[in-house]
Amino acid sequence: MADEVLFDFLHMELVSYIHHSCVKEDNVKDTSIAKLESTGFRVGQSLIERFTKDSARFKDELDTMKFICKEFWNAIYKKQVDNLRTNHQGVYVLQDNKFKFLTQISNGKQFMESAPKYLAFPCGLLRGALSNLGVNCIVTAEVSAMPACKFQIQIQRS
Amino acid sequence: MTIYNFYIFDRNGVCLYYVEWNRRKQSGMSSEEEFKLMYGMIFSIKSFVNRISPTDVKEGFMTYKTSKYRLHFFETLSGLKFIMNTDLNVGNIRDILQQIYSTIYVEYVIKNPIIELDKPITSELFKTKLDDYMKGLPFFPAKVS
Repeated sequence: MADEVLFDFLHMELVSYIHHSCVKEDNVKDTSIAKLESTGFRVGQSLIERFTKDSARFKDELDTMKFICKEFWNAIYKKQVDNLRTNHQGVYVLQDNKFKFLTQISNGKQFMESAPKYLAFPCGLLRGALSNLGVNCIVTAEVSAMPACKFQIQIQRS
Repeated sequence: MTIYNFYIFDRNGVCLYYVEWNRRKQSGMSSEEEFKLMYGMIFSIKSFVNRISPTDVKEGFMTYKTSKYRLHFFETLSGLKFIMNTDLNVGNIRDILQQIYSTIYVEYVIKNPIIELDKPITSELFKTKLDDYMKGLPFFPAKVS
């Protein structure tokens, strides 16, 4: 009946709760982003186990990225990533023109300062999913005009 | 066929949103007083209508009409009140008010994490969507004065 909104509302309240508790504890806003990201990391790890339990091995890194853009994104946000770019040297940019958590907030520039809070959990989700697939990386997000946003993935080879 | 103005009140009488398109005569008092007067009047009429009703109450107060305009009222289960003033050619628009609630208010206010539920609505997206919806209604005038 209301299945899709369950996740939306839960995420909204999660962001608000972590934000308030961080501001009360040590008056620093950045720890809330870190906490949300690590929560997303753990959830992403488990989710990817569940989604790939029946699929074959990925041929290469690009194939992994394509899986993330299509199946993973579809399962969580009910749509696919609109644009995937890479410089073939370990940097990938995923562009979503109507990101699920931002569509209801604004249609352009209003509320821009609060947007990063709602992207922390998705960043962690991506990082966790990739780490459990064997790809270590750093994920950052940027918003120029809502509801479009870009996730930048930087693969770390050691 | 015109829509004059539109109010949204919450359960405690706070005016969450007000917009006017075609209002030719002002009420002669400040906005705050007008909102309080409107809310108080609606609240009183609602309870009066329910008490005096000679048969079973089904919907309660829905609309009143004067020789110049008609006021439409819709209340949700959560106590949200939608009030619209139109001219006399418009029939019963209860289902339109219900649509505004379910497709615009719920989508762009309830699902927006930044908006607080008991303060006036500041979201530009809500304003744009509401405006577009109103302009698409058949009884909205083609020219706006």
